[in-house]
Amino acid sequence: MSTNILNEYQALMEAYEKNGGNIGEFANPNIPSIVIGGNKVLGKNQIKGLIIHSVPTSNGVDVKITVKSGTKVLYPMALCFGVIPKEGTQIINMETTIENNAGMNAISHCVFPNAEHIVHKMNYKINIGQNSFFRYKEIHFHGSKGGVEVIPYTKGTVGENSLFISTFTLKEGRVGKLDIKYDIDIMKKGKLELYSKVWAKEDDKVQIEEKGNLQGDEARALIKSRVVLEDEAKSKVLSVVNAYAPYSRGHVDCTEIVQDNAVAEAIPIVRVFNHLAKVTHEAAIGSIDSKELETLEARGLSKEEAVKIIVEGLLK
Amino acid sequence: MDGILQVKNLSLIKDKKEIIKNFNLSAERYSISAVIGINGAGKSSLAYVLMGLKGYKPDSGAIYFNSKNITEFSITDRAQLGMTLAWQNPSLFEGLTVKDYIQVAVKNKSLNIVKDSLYRVALDPSIYLHRIVDKSLSGGERKRIELAAVFAMRPKLAILDEPDSGIDAISLDKIIHLIKDFKKVGSTVLLITHRDKVAEIADRAFLICNGEIIKEGPTKEISLFFKEQCNECTHKNIPISEIVREGNA
Ligand SMILES: Nc1ncnc2c1ncn2[C@@H]1O[C@H](COP(=O)(O)OP(=O)(O)OP(=O)(O)O)[C@@H](O)[C@H]1O
Ligand SMILES: [Mg+2]
Repeated sequence: MSTNILNEYQALMEAYEKNGGNIGEFANPNIPSIVIGGNKVLGKNQIKGLIIHSVPTSNGVDVKITVKSGTKVLYPMALCFGVIPKEGTQIINMETTIENNAGMNAISHCVFPNAEHIVHKMNYKINIGQNSFFRYKEIHFHGSKGGVEVIPYTKGTVGENSLFISTFTLKEGRVGKLDIKYDIDIMKKGKLELYSKVWAKEDDKVQIEEKGNLQGDEARALIKSRVVLEDEAKSKVLSVVNAYAPYSRGHVDCTEIVQDNAVAEAIPIVRVFNHLAKVTHEAAIGSIDSKELETLEARGLSKEEAVKIIVEGLLK
Repeated sequence: MDGILQVKNLSLIKDKKEIIKNFNLSAERYSISAVIGINGAGKSSLAYVLMGLKGYKPDSGAIYFNSKNITEFSITDRAQLGMTLAWQNPSLFEGLTVKDYIQVAVKNKSLNIVKDSLYRVALDPSIYLHRIVDKSLSGGERKRIELAAVFAMRPKLAILDEPDSGIDAISLDKIIHLIKDFKKVGSTVLLITHRDKVAEIADRAFLICNGEIIKEGPTKEISLFFKEQCNECTHKNIPISEIVREGNA
């Protein structure tokens, strides 16, 4: 590695560690991993049954990860995406395929610690075969200046009798501008769980659009969002479940806590196209529940301490 | 008298209705005082006024805690002086573990105190410490955790709003035992309840009706009066003085 690349790798690792990642995992030959800084693949480790194919492009990297049939990656694969300079555009085209009777747990850290003018786009395609699972956690850190625009769009299919759980977390530092989209088809007896947890501050803007399409009999979808807004932050959460198949079940659960001059919007859309399907939704937008606050104050906490505990619990 | 809590001529008006009227009460240090009364009598409202909750600022009167006038104090200030409240219907907290919920109130954050208070409400710490205080708990479990949290705080004054409601008959004895133990750890208890068996452990009782104390005395006597006279409350529009005279007669 040239010194430049080495520096970038080290800076990424530092940010990764600050974001809660364990950098030892990148040196462990038994743990699959990939590290991408800007448009460079700075590190990569494949294991038996898990293939990583990566091609750098002018402003990003195209990545394909395939988990072969029969392979189960239980200790989570470690992924790190980031941009270390203050400015730049990063476009990641990613595709994850989990073949039949296979599975993977994965944790991805997306770090932009110095961001002033950064655009990070992720076009993500997920294919999960039959009797398989993919549990994916994505944890973001966008620095303290709010100069990031993050646009992850995910399209995917959860095959028959398979499970896809995705958790998106952005609670440290600023958000900047976030525009998340998920559009997932769930086949027979397949199960989808989408969780997003975001803490927006100052003039952050959050847009979340999550869609689960219950295509197969007995398919399940849960879309759960928790957004906490402070200062002048704005958010719009659109959660959609379309139920096309008999005995499919869906639930949308959105809570947004609005403080200061923040503005929040939640739009749950539940559509049922089959009379044997059922979809429910709950949405709560507003200030922190006063009884919860008073309960903690009655144990001797200040209002600020009580708010912190309630908000951190909600985003946990 | 060594009253840790003294309430003087307290009144609270809500929606143009006087929910607490000319209320006077004194609770002796290290004692258990029962507050008895029918549904809607104003028991919880009294607890909220004492604790200083939003919307429960008294319209007149004063509250003294350890001889200090705390009528204008915030909830936090009252709690830091040593007062706390176990709610009749405690709130749920998404993402907060039982351990963290109880520990909030424990000064040195000791895990032993947390475990000990869970044992006292008959909840096995190895099962409950890491449960979340959310809707996955049953109503009775939540109530027991509330009591455990208040006990762990070792408050100088614990206001327990129907600690026995939602508690099954088998666990009730443990709960009663715990309420008695408050005295042992140096707490004074204001015990709001309907159940005779629970009220019985109090050193003194206050009968509250329509926001007023209509009788005060030894628990047995007040309990009996409550059972005999309050079943079909007749006095809603009759002056209290008359009904009390009738009851005494
Ligand atoms: N915010 C409010 N606005 C109007 N009336 C209220 C309000 N809060 C309580 N009340 C009324 O005040 C009275 C006392 O209520 P409170 O909850 O204190 O009764 P309680 O004695 O605790 O009853 P229970 O045994 O059912 O718990 C009731 O008639 C109730 O309807
Ligand atoms: Mg009540």
